[in-house]
Amino acid sequence: MPEEEKISYYLKKSKTIKNNFEKKIRISILSSFTLNGIEEIFQVKCDEKKVSCNTCLGAYNQYNQEILDPKSQLYQFQPNITFLILDTRSILEDLWYFPYSIDEKQRQNFVEKKFKEIENLITIFLKNSNSKLIISNFFIPTNSNYGIFETKSNFGLQKMINTLNNNLQDYIHNLDSVYLFDMNGFISKHGENNIFDSKQFLFGDIKISLDFIPHLVNDLMGYVIATLGISKRCIVLDLDNTLWGGIIGEDEFDGIKLGSDPSGKAFVEFQKYLLGLHNRGILLAINSKNNFDDAIKVIEEHPDMILKKEHFASIKINWNDKVSNIKEISDELNFGLENFVFFDDDPLNREFMKSSLPQVLTVDLPADPSKYVRTIQEMNEFNLLKITDEDKQRGVMYSQQRDRKTLEKSSNNLEDFLKNMDLKVTIKKADNFTIPRISQLILKTNQFNLTTKRYSLEDIQKMSQNDNMLIGCAQVEDKFGDNGITAAFIVEKNGTKEWILDTFLLSCRVMGRQIEKSILGYIIKIAKQNNVDKISANFIPTKKNQPIKNFLPDCGFKKEKDFWSISLNDSFMAPNFIKIEEK
Amino acid sequence: MSEKLYGIIAKVMDISIDEINDNSSPETIPSWDSFNSYILLDELESEFKTEFTIDEVTETKNVSDIKKHLKAHGIDLND
Repeated sequence: MPEEEKISYYLKKSKTIKNNFEKKIRISILSSFTLNGIEEIFQVKCDEKKVSCNTCLGAYNQYNQEILDPKSQLYQFQPNITFLILDTRSILEDLWYFPYSIDEKQRQNFVEKKFKEIENLITIFLKNSNSKLIISNFFIPTNSNYGIFETKSNFGLQKMINTLNNNLQDYIHNLDSVYLFDMNGFISKHGENNIFDSKQFLFGDIKISLDFIPHLVNDLMGYVIATLGISKRCIVLDLDNTLWGGIIGEDEFDGIKLGSDPSGKAFVEFQKYLLGLHNRGILLAINSKNNFDDAIKVIEEHPDMILKKEHFASIKINWNDKVSNIKEISDELNFGLENFVFFDDDPLNREFMKSSLPQVLTVDLPADPSKYVRTIQEMNEFNLLKITDEDKQRGVMYSQQRDRKTLEKSSNNLEDFLKNMDLKVTIKKADNFTIPRISQLILKTNQFNLTTKRYSLEDIQKMSQNDNMLIGCAQVEDKFGDNGITAAFIVEKNGTKEWILDTFLLSCRVMGRQIEKSILGYIIKIAKQNNVDKISANFIPTKKNQPIKNFLPDCGFKKEKDFWSISLNDSFMAPNFIKIEEK
Repeated sequence: MSEKLYGIIAKVMDISIDEINDNSSPETIPSWDSFNSYILLDELESEFKTEFTIDEVTETKNVSDIKKHLKAHGIDLND
């Protein structure tokens, strides 16, 4: 179990929080039992992530009233995210003690009734609030009056809870703003006998013992991080004693620990976990002080090396300092340092990274490599609300990106390079398939983003129903492969007089190829078909969106007061080397 | 060792260690509410590596009661 502070630490620390960060979140918690202290823990953990957090804890066991009454404190608080944490005891009432006091059919009816009650709560909540709702599933008790016969009984106690959990999971599957927190998994992970403290329960109806509330919040923070779009995207790894045991420069190819013996297997386990993350879209990179030839030989030729060259979006094996290297990786991959996690076994390297680049998340790797996997498993920074096809393809796309860079270096000028890329842009309308990705882009894109307006999935769904809004995205392909959906736009149509670019953005992956002009060309074409006079746009500068600064003037927009406009009587030339299609 | 006990109480109740004496109780320390008393119990058990019985907890009315129970658990505060 990774270290956690005592609850008193959080209560004290929460009093010193200033809450003046740019990113903000409003968290509301409803529960069927005592969860005092949870607000303060959220506040401290948000503060550690540089997020200002306001919390609201519903009155003890008042979750029904809070959800059913449209004027309740819950709705007045206007949360962005709401946790509904229920426990098995409360839901089962007397059946917790005497499940077999009623017959099988009655037990089935009971589960059906409880499911309907929760379903009803969810429906009413969604009607009254735009907040995300995270509802916990139910812990499956291991004690039973039936003892060893429990698992043989018909629709017994454990089956009841299992059924309720499965029904809930099926029900929320298609509800975009509702998520199920695996409380049963949480309690299994830490152990029922640790989580439940009988004295705390008897004195204060505390059903998750005080020492474990910080762990619970740690898991729940995964939803907060994903909702805010501040998840990490890339893991930068050291090699010696991080991906394998020993030092390649001293121990040599046959002397390093990788595979075979128990300590070598620890590194294989760690690599396998990293590969799993890579396969779902977390990028991997290497930052190692070594002779390139020695280290790359291990990666290319060692029989127990799980991670191969193609799994790394960037490889820096040299004698430069690690801070310069990570900055280069950030430039190369085209996203900011706040997206990076740094793994290094050497505390000195970690200290250097932490003090030079605090925006990088430097992980305190335990001294014992057998604990590496647990350390990364406990991290809540890789969570996303949706894992899209683009995410799963990301690792492959970035290794194609390395090939593109090679072509760019060998081309004499940018135009030749772009002409040789066989670029193709496919415009797609906002629909059930594209909205999750559009929302992801809108929440995450910082650099080539005209207005940096953030909209949730639900916001975009609502907007897409509105005839006054033109919402779309673009898939970008080239001769090296498919970049996936990497651009999005929202146009507010005001009749035929003036259309406004509310949102216009491009993923950093496809910047510098004039894709933006191609997409603007498409919007202009549609506007002309609708006899619109002009298109206007507002450029909202941020610390990060310098790359889009000249986009409007470059495309012929003229500044009128605060707005930029382009008259549709003027001709606009979209780049001719980009093929554009509409789907 | 009283120092250690007072330190834990001061930390949990978020007050200065000088404000604590044997007669300190929920009546004399405003922040000593029921929730903080659960936290105190939890931290005393972790710090002194012991477990109090439910009767001991129920009977505890002030700091001197805590000392008495700690002593019964073989933890001598030496004063």
